[in-house]
Amino acid sequence: MRYAGRWRSRVALGVPAALALLLLVVPLVALLLRADWARIPSDLATPTVLPALRLSLTTTSVTAVLCLLLGTPLAWFLARSDHRATSWVRALLTVPLVLPPVVGGVALLMTWGRNGLIGQHLAPFGIQIPFTTVAVVLAETFVAMPYYVLAVEGAMRGLDPRLESVARTLGASDLRYLRTVGIPLVLPGIAGGLALAWARALGEFGATITFAGNFPGRTQTLPLLVYVELERDPQVAISISIMLLAVSVLVLGVLRGRWLR
Amino acid sequence: MSRLVAAGEGLDARICLSRGEVEVDVALTAEPGQVIGVLGPNGGGKTTTVLALAGVLALGEGHIRVAGDVWDDGRRRLAPEQRAVGLMLADSLLFPHLRALDNVAFGPRSRGVSRHDARDRARTELERVGLSDRATSRPRELSSGQQARVALARALATDPALLLLDEPLAALDPDTRARTRSDLAARLTAYDGVTVLVTHDPLDALTLADHLVFVEDGRVTQAGTPAEVLSEPRSAYVGTVVGLNLYAAQGDSHGHVHTADGGLIVTTSPTEGAVWATIPPSAVSLHRHEPEGSPRNAWRLRIASVTMQGQSARVGLVGDVALTAEVTLESVTALGLQVGQGVWAAVKATEVRTYPR
Repeated sequence: MRYAGRWRSRVALGVPAALALLLLVVPLVALLLRADWARIPSDLATPTVLPALRLSLTTTSVTAVLCLLLGTPLAWFLARSDHRATSWVRALLTVPLVLPPVVGGVALLMTWGRNGLIGQHLAPFGIQIPFTTVAVVLAETFVAMPYYVLAVEGAMRGLDPRLESVARTLGASDLRYLRTVGIPLVLPGIAGGLALAWARALGEFGATITFAGNFPGRTQTLPLLVYVELERDPQVAISISIMLLAVSVLVLGVLRGRWLR
Repeated sequence: MSRLVAAGEGLDARICLSRGEVEVDVALTAEPGQVIGVLGPNGGGKTTTVLALAGVLALGEGHIRVAGDVWDDGRRRLAPEQRAVGLMLADSLLFPHLRALDNVAFGPRSRGVSRHDARDRARTELERVGLSDRATSRPRELSSGQQARVALARALATDPALLLLDEPLAALDPDTRARTRSDLAARLTAYDGVTVLVTHDPLDALTLADHLVFVEDGRVTQAGTPAEVLSEPRSAYVGTVVGLNLYAAQGDSHGHVHTADGGLIVTTSPTEGAVWATIPPSAVSLHRHEPEGSPRNAWRLRIASVTMQGQSARVGLVGDVALTAEVTLESVTALGLQVGQGVWAAVKATEVRTYPR
């Protein structure tokens, strides 16, 4: 009787669990099964792929550097402040995480567009941001920065605040403390945040196509190219997808080793 | 002493601020080379005092003057990095990614000394705490006692005018603590600034400090030399720390003092007015029957606790007069002392000391 009851609950929980797993794994398997492994090198060498690959690598690298230079100080302010406003800033930061990327693209257009909040002041100088490579970087930074800041802030909060008190009595300014103690101690967190932000930037599609358009060589990143190639030559799209999948797994490996544990 | 301090030497501070539940109002003065021991129960304001001296907390009111410089006057405040201060806490809080030498050199480097000179200075400081051979070790490769010594060397490498030690030995195991305590004492004799040592261990205070300040509930309840404090405690907490039975009492002219709880103690010391009365635990004798003859004080009390301390036992007694007695292990067994049991306690009138409150 008890044995039968145990079986029933195993089935009631096991079937949905297995379905969830299948929903996640089968598409990946399908992608791998449809790949023509021998064709991948030549597919990736086609004239359309190389510029997209180069563009993706440069824009995501610039995005990562922006996260590092601008996001680290922001993470530090968030980590050391107990002010009520801090929790609002943190809540604001999480909005881009859950916002549909297309909406992010529209918001960026409203900011940097010809009649946008900032764009209208740039237009007289002949500076146009939308539909340029700069727009790609802005879109990627918009979606990736929150991941970086939240990851690094978490790591910084893990530091003993008394270390900072001691460093300051020894004569260290905020900047010197951060440079010589704070940042070296949160390097694993920074590496994890960078990997996460970079991977998010690499996969960016919605905000980019809305705000930067889809111009080969200028704003057409790898995900945009996949979308185009799916109409033109599905096998090329699959090959690029395989490459992006490999990169994702690689990043996951870095995260598990360094940060997620 | 205070006149010398006012002339700009040493430490002159009145620290008033509220933090959490505690309203702190503590005055501290010291001459260069002095070690002030700050004692008191946890949550009484000791650490708040240290953090205000370090500059981590701002004063609400009062002042902090060290070696002639105003560090805080309740309105303007020097940041910690602008003060000639050294801080050492219970956890050594060494920078875990830096070698011992670079931990010690961190202060001089932060204060603008060249890398080469800072390392030279660090080597000297490590030598003074007997750790020149561990200069290249990382903190996790050092024992807890060695970590504490590196932390002391680091705090002293910037030539602070004020050295703050907040429970510097509390995190160490008993063996290491004894050894580190004597290392600390040796190093402090060679230091010519003011040291403020916060501790709840009476042994630390008595062996390291030459002036004691007791802080309870944010206020100074007693201050004085260790000898003064040992012989004339002036609060229940201080009484416990120095190990004396202490009573706030009212005396009459016949050698009788009446404790606040209604107990009567007979003494040969002067007793007029409000007095403190002390009875050393070793002066208490315990008897199964009412003692006869010379002892002038005899009370029928109940045993509340018995604890062993080496070859002697401390017996906590309650009744008309709350009393701790220190007796030999033999008398514990001979008398068959058990918790809850009634017993007679006797104290000679000559053993009861009184002094004005």
